[in-house]
Amino acid sequence: MDSMTVDGASIKEVVTPGSAAELASVLGEASASGRAVTPIGSGTKLAVGNVPAFVDLGLSTGHLTRVLHYEPTDMTLSVEAGIRFGELQVLLAERGQALPIEVPDDAQATIGGLIATAMAGPRRLGCGTLRDLLIGISVAYPSGILAKAGGLVVKNVTGFDLMRLHLGAFGTLGVITSANFKVLPLARTETTLITSGLTLDEALSAALTARQSRLRPISVEVFSSNGKWQSAVRLEGRAETVALGVSSITSNPVWSTELSGPESAQWWRTYVQQQSLIENGDDIVVRFGSAPKKSGTLSQSVQALLSKHALSPQLFAISPGLGTVLIRFDSEGLSPDSIKIFQSAATIIADTVTVLKAPADLKAGIDIWGAVPTTVAVMRSLKSEFDGGGTLNPGRFVDRI
Amino acid sequence: MNHSTMIERLQRIVGTKSVFHESGDLLVYEYDGSVDGVVDTARPAAVVLPTTPQQVADVVKLANEAGLPVVPRGAGTGLSGGAVAQTGGIVIALTRMDRVLEFDREDGTALVEPGVINLELSESTLSDGYFFAPDPSSQRACTIGGNVAENSGGPHCLKYGVTTNHILGLEVVLPDGRIAWLGGNHLGTAGYDLTGTMVGSEGLLGIVTKALVRLTPSPEATTVMLAAFGDVETASEAVSRVIGAGIVPAALEMMDALTIEAVEPQYHAGYPMDAGAVLLIEIDGISEDVADTAREIELICQESGASEVRIATEKIERDLLWKGRKMALAAMGRLSPNYYLHDTVVPRTKLPATLKRVEAISAEFGLRIANVFHAGDGNLHPLMLFDRHKPGDVERVLGASHEILSYCVEVGGALSGEHGIGTEKRDYMTLVFTGEDLAAMAGIKNSFDPRGLFNPEKLFPKGYMCGEVRALRNQAMAQKHGIYPL
Repeated sequence: MDSMTVDGASIKEVVTPGSAAELASVLGEASASGRAVTPIGSGTKLAVGNVPAFVDLGLSTGHLTRVLHYEPTDMTLSVEAGIRFGELQVLLAERGQALPIEVPDDAQATIGGLIATAMAGPRRLGCGTLRDLLIGISVAYPSGILAKAGGLVVKNVTGFDLMRLHLGAFGTLGVITSANFKVLPLARTETTLITSGLTLDEALSAALTARQSRLRPISVEVFSSNGKWQSAVRLEGRAETVALGVSSITSNPVWSTELSGPESAQWWRTYVQQQSLIENGDDIVVRFGSAPKKSGTLSQSVQALLSKHALSPQLFAISPGLGTVLIRFDSEGLSPDSIKIFQSAATIIADTVTVLKAPADLKAGIDIWGAVPTTVAVMRSLKSEFDGGGTLNPGRFVDRI
Repeated sequence: MNHSTMIERLQRIVGTKSVFHESGDLLVYEYDGSVDGVVDTARPAAVVLPTTPQQVADVVKLANEAGLPVVPRGAGTGLSGGAVAQTGGIVIALTRMDRVLEFDREDGTALVEPGVINLELSESTLSDGYFFAPDPSSQRACTIGGNVAENSGGPHCLKYGVTTNHILGLEVVLPDGRIAWLGGNHLGTAGYDLTGTMVGSEGLLGIVTKALVRLTPSPEATTVMLAAFGDVETASEAVSRVIGAGIVPAALEMMDALTIEAVEPQYHAGYPMDAGAVLLIEIDGISEDVADTAREIELICQESGASEVRIATEKIERDLLWKGRKMALAAMGRLSPNYYLHDTVVPRTKLPATLKRVEAISAEFGLRIANVFHAGDGNLHPLMLFDRHKPGDVERVLGASHEILSYCVEVGGALSGEHGIGTEKRDYMTLVFTGEDLAAMAGIKNSFDPRGLFNPEKLFPKGYMCGEVRALRNQAMAQKHGIYPL
């Protein structure tokens, strides 16, 4: 971890406290002495955010890796933030349970990082995200306090929902030290169906029909592949039910490939891993968001945009049920100005545009989060309340908060 | 600002017909669904019934000018005292803002005004194959705005989640009178989850003027099962086994003998009067799945010692069984003039022990306590039967309540599963939260409402806000500017 950088800026010192209380203490001291702090899990998503205003101290959750509580019969779990998701999945699978979250580099990703970045994959269509599963949280604040919210029960209206506040806040309001979840039963069986190579319209149409079939797939994706387009859907449930779902969808012969069990699971792992933010060197990853029913139009607009800027994407993944498009392309030959122009044009075709990854010099001139939301004043008010000194990830968040 | 000026100005904002200020008119707004004796009634200075977000904003601005508290109110069915104006001020009742503004059949969303009644929303989308999943028992009367404020649940949240899982965006009037749109209608909206922060905030952070809700596709098939057991402990063990088998029913409710005693003669739903406890289990999904799951549950119940298992597939039968459950409270009048419906949650594995403890408390305090609740997620509703006019009854109710709450917290539960904290449980917050925990929550409150105008004397323990918030601010100031206040 000695040469850890955030957008090219090197973190001079990394501290790895041995406990949550110690972490809160370190954070409080750093804040009091005016140092900028970058919370660090495993660093798999450090690329996401605006170029930091300051980088001083890295605060790692590397030693906060314990399972604090796991009661399979209650289907509740409490873990420290630094635990690796891969390890957690193995533990849960042993008891026939899971946290159905899909992100690239998930084996290494820490649970704290997953919450702070609120990233989710194709499975969010049918299974929801961590937002729906997080039932308790413990956070260290720049004031030096350690405060919890929620609890270890699946229904709870006791005080404000700090779980939702810190989820997706990219560590800018506090550093998550532990979290409680409700876990779900592992699906009994799964099958993935994939179409042959089609046109974009054909693939979207096949996806839409499959999505509305009796057994609703938990994931529905359309992606570019060797100059054509394919759709993949994932069905989960009892064996008999999944078989029914499969026969209903495959009555349309475009669905030419069928994978089951471990093969099916592996296919999705590979698919999601293509969206990694730490592999592929100096590439650029952009995510567009729109109303799900506008997915077709959005996809075509993104295609046109790429064409206009003479960019050929290595990845073009559409989640029609969610209204998102994710693209990845090479940054070679691009300048800060051309990125700015690209982003401006992108904001016209989508409701949200997020530049998840780009070389620091190229993204320095833009706000990677896109258009500043109207609620930025409320956000700044919260930031000022919890981190008035601008200690945590200064400049990285929306509107460079 | 004197009283008559305030009334005049309010009338100019919402019209004379939408301002109540006479004693007789204010009477019905002095209380909500909470129990008189547990939560005090209190009279507001005025009640307004706006019809537009701008009117709500203008009233809030007026309240800011006058330094008056503001208390938002839906249908007033809340059980924790959230809509009662404990320190007077202006009650803003959202009931006249009752339109479904937009309904997107393709994406399954609806934009609604806060006064839309929960059940009516589901009824209006049913023919298009959708319903609004959070279904509190008060759904014939309660409003979406209220559901947002309390993060309401209901029997179907076992499978479908609570209100916060179904709110995609909110238009709110903030405590300073600004109108703000929080959240978005898709994933990847930038910034903090302000929508998630607002849901369940009990009217302390903002007033909802529009909600973008996620609707749920209606299932292809639904089946309701009734399983009868000798006692609540055996029934709760069956609950654990069903959940432990990896089954997620759409709903899993329990009712005990005392509840059945009130409910069955009233509704004739077919509940066995000789059962110690019954489970009401709903399964939904595709037909084949539902049939298979029903059989699996039937087996589990029989293995757990059920004396009877009935499967109802016809709508009329299912509706009747549900009527018995959803209208249980209404039938309690057969047994007693007053009741206090509790709301706590415990881990499912602690259900049998908790129910035993509730039984013991019932005996100890000489109070009849019925149990009708969401067994699937450990959300208990001990229902205390009493008579306000009988000397000592209210004291016994408060004493027994304290014992129940303390025990639930002791076994790892929460203070509230659905009803919220309000005034009812504010002083119990220190039982589950430390000063630092409360300081973080106070930080949120302070960030949205530094003047503390919205719904004062709720959620935080008595006397908490003044001292502690100041301390937190001082700390922040010191760090930011090196300023140490005198």
